[in-house]
Amino acid sequence: MNALSFDPLLPWPFVGAVALLALMIAAWSLWRGLRGWPWRGLAGLAAAAALAGPALESGIRNKLPDIVLLLEDRSASQSLPGRAAQTDAAIEEVTRQIDALPDTEIRRVSLGDDADGTLLGTALTRALAAEPASRVAGVIAVTDGLAHDAPMLPAGAPAPVHVLRTGRPDDWDRRLVIEEAPAYGLIGEPVTIRLRIEDQGAVPEEIADRPARLRISVDGDDAQSVDLPPGLSAELQVTPEHAGQNVVSIAFDAPVSAGPELTDRNNAAAIQIQGVHDRLRVLLVSGEPHAGERTWRNLLKSDANVDLIHFTILRPPDKMDAVPVNEMSLIAFPTQELFMQRINDFDLIIFDRYRVRGILMPQYFDNIRRYVEEGGAVLVAAGPEMSSVESLNLSPLGGILPARPTGRVYDRAFLPRLTEEGQRHPVTAGLTGAPSPDGRDAAGDSWGRWLRMSQVVPNPRAQVVMTGANDEPLLVLDRVGEGRVAMLTSDQVWLWGRGFEGGGPQLELLRRIAHWSMKEPELEEEALTADVSDGLTVTLTRRTLDAAAGPLTITLPGGKTEMLPLAQAGPGRFTARWTAPGPGLYRFADDQITRVIALGPASPREFEETVASAEAFAPLVEATHGGVVRLSDGIPRLRTVREGRPAHGQGVGGEWIGITPRDAATVSGMTHRPLLPGWGWLALIAGLGLAGWLAEGRGWPRRAA
Amino acid sequence: MRILLILAAILWAALARAQEDPDPRLIRAADEVALAYVLTGDSRIDETSLAGLRGISRVLTARTTVEPGEPIGIDLDRDDLSLLTFLYWPVSDDQPAPTPQAYLRLNKFLRSGGMILFDTRDGDIAGLGGPDGAAALQRLAAPLDIPPLAPVPDDHVLTRTFYLLRDFPGRYQASEVWAEAPPADAAASEGVPFRNLNDGVSPVLIGGNSWAEAWAMDENGLPMFTVGSGLEGERQREMAYRFGVNLIMYVLTGNYKSDQVHVPALLDRLRQEEVIQ
Repeated sequence: MNALSFDPLLPWPFVGAVALLALMIAAWSLWRGLRGWPWRGLAGLAAAAALAGPALESGIRNKLPDIVLLLEDRSASQSLPGRAAQTDAAIEEVTRQIDALPDTEIRRVSLGDDADGTLLGTALTRALAAEPASRVAGVIAVTDGLAHDAPMLPAGAPAPVHVLRTGRPDDWDRRLVIEEAPAYGLIGEPVTIRLRIEDQGAVPEEIADRPARLRISVDGDDAQSVDLPPGLSAELQVTPEHAGQNVVSIAFDAPVSAGPELTDRNNAAAIQIQGVHDRLRVLLVSGEPHAGERTWRNLLKSDANVDLIHFTILRPPDKMDAVPVNEMSLIAFPTQELFMQRINDFDLIIFDRYRVRGILMPQYFDNIRRYVEEGGAVLVAAGPEMSSVESLNLSPLGGILPARPTGRVYDRAFLPRLTEEGQRHPVTAGLTGAPSPDGRDAAGDSWGRWLRMSQVVPNPRAQVVMTGANDEPLLVLDRVGEGRVAMLTSDQVWLWGRGFEGGGPQLELLRRIAHWSMKEPELEEEALTADVSDGLTVTLTRRTLDAAAGPLTITLPGGKTEMLPLAQAGPGRFTARWTAPGPGLYRFADDQITRVIALGPASPREFEETVASAEAFAPLVEATHGGVVRLSDGIPRLRTVREGRPAHGQGVGGEWIGITPRDAATVSGMTHRPLLPGWGWLALIAGLGLAGWLAEGRGWPRRAA
Repeated sequence: MRILLILAAILWAALARAQEDPDPRLIRAADEVALAYVLTGDSRIDETSLAGLRGISRVLTARTTVEPGEPIGIDLDRDDLSLLTFLYWPVSDDQPAPTPQAYLRLNKFLRSGGMILFDTRDGDIAGLGGPDGAAALQRLAAPLDIPPLAPVPDDHVLTRTFYLLRDFPGRYQASEVWAEAPPADAAASEGVPFRNLNDGVSPVLIGGNSWAEAWAMDENGLPMFTVGSGLEGERQREMAYRFGVNLIMYVLTGNYKSDQVHVPALLDRLRQEEVIQ
């Protein structure tokens, strides 16, 4: 690499002025008819050039080897039958050929699985960015072409990009495509899943038109079968039946034919729909304003998910004053509408110190009873009125209440305690500050006391989870038909909120009672929960009211079963940790309860599409004059071609792909040499000046004309 | 000596903690929503408070579902407040300030949902520039955790918890009543004529209308103090009773009445959902 550079001795304007002067002298000489004018002009220009200080610069150049990027796709889809061997063979052969080329290096980039699939584009972009663009002579990707980040593929490359595609021409696959599935659904409202069966690749004729038999099952229930021809979108209605995860598993059997499909791993899908309650509607009926009423209001109004309709009897029908109606702020409540027509819209009805005083008609109570038996919930927080003749127990509702008052009211301080059942029951288990079960702790160590409760006789099938004075039932829970009833035999839970004698977890207790009534899954007595911690490891927790919980039967995706013993982790809590052998749909069951969970992706992204295709690479390959070669046709030979020429073609010995040697070099030094030494310039200028003088004939005596 | 005293105090506290039953009067307060008043040490004021609360309790019993028991005088320095819901505190110049422990209990009472009605009983002279109850009120209430106050606005839930009221007269009806200021961003929501205040009840009400005197009844249920004059005076006494009823309803039901205006909208929504289904 050589170049001319200038290193002027004087600033450029001076040099220019000298050159101008030289030209003017030459012009003047011409005008005067002097014969030596060109010599004079040249002498002046030479002087100007000497002042400009021309020099010759030359660098020392080292040739750099070319780089060939060899991208090797080792993702899971490359493990499909035959592809791994194809890849190995191609990599080996290409490596050997590149090694045989002079001055060429290989950069191998190996690509594994990512949670998001095969990130070929990202890997290629990154590999190109890591190498100097001027040295890259070619990019060779050995892959099935199933990139999940096609938009990340670079638009161009400094050298030809070749794709050596694995797979066989007769590859085919039938897969299940979930086009649309909601992640959440309201309980009891159907949600729509849209799906289709898709055939890809060279589908054998006997399969092509045959419908697939879909097996659909919700939460591991018995499967329903539907026939669905490929290519048609079908809509599937599924109704989440309970809060929490509803697992819908959809699968079809691999079609039977001479050449099997690539994989059956994309023949199934597990869709998890989170069942959620619509806004909970709570009807709170307070029989009279009392100190605990605001406790209920605070609880229910602080819950953003609750619509509260509250209704307090401020004035009983038997009390009148002479105040005109328009000076009063009393509103007649739409009882007929609430208790007869709309009752099914409520998730919970709370009777708070309600006394039967003729405001609600008997048929309303009959209707409430029917409502509970059909799946509603009633919670009674009773004051001393329960032991009176105005007790709710004497209304038609009394038949479903979990306890019957004896008429006696304990008017003394007592400490609420958890019964043995209460320590296991999710409504009361783990309430902070609970007194120890042996009853030996002094007042003040735990909850504050309450001051009044009614004596009741609990229904034999009801659960007594808290007791008060004389170990009489304080909190009684029961199920009626499909509904639930709860009864608190004291109205003084608000004392906990006030901090009397230290108070207690009043909001938490009331919240749990209310939400248990509304069947919140976290508060179910018999529950099996599965926490998937990382990937395939799952922590199973069995909550039960029984003293022991048996081993769980695990049904693996293949249909095999396994037994898993549980260890006690607390009263009524039994846990175990278990690691699944692979992704799929697992069913955990004991004799009472079954739970289905999907571990890992049921159909990993790698196996969504399996038929090899280099379509994603087509624009890049075309832009760089590269080629796509099917490895099933053999491994191509490597040639070198000039930049910008087609780098892929069909030769005598089969297909070839080309790399473009880049002739890249690095400059390791620089020399700077003046064009002429100082004395050289002097001699030149002097010589030209002398030549001009001689040309004008001044050196010889003038001949006589 | 001091250490001994502290030890004695701790021992006494421990004994008090382990005592078998709380004060029966306080149990009654919890059971019957009995109204309570602060004993000031001035027997005339204390008797008036008792008679006043007894009077309003009778009015409540006669007209509403709330049937409070006999009022309870509270010695702030001694009694546990956690069983109370409502405390009437007449302010007088010469009443001694409660001890710091009492203020701790009072603050806890206010925080956990109790309410104090401060009555400076100076509605006739307040604001005229002469000596009034302001200084005494300031002295007594300064250590309390009281939120910013504002005069009760016209749309406050207190004006419609039972009766519809415009003002809150007692024996006097001149002065304004102050309650917790509504939050700055409270605005009238659409379709609801009232401000949507939070459900928290204002922990204090402060006024000077000498309500106890207007409510006061003797054993026979006869008024003990004159209010105004003639028929107009009796009308004012009736209004004072109505204020008392509204006040206790407010203490017990909070913003219940405010929310009732939403009920028709909620029912409408239920009806619409039914149509859709």
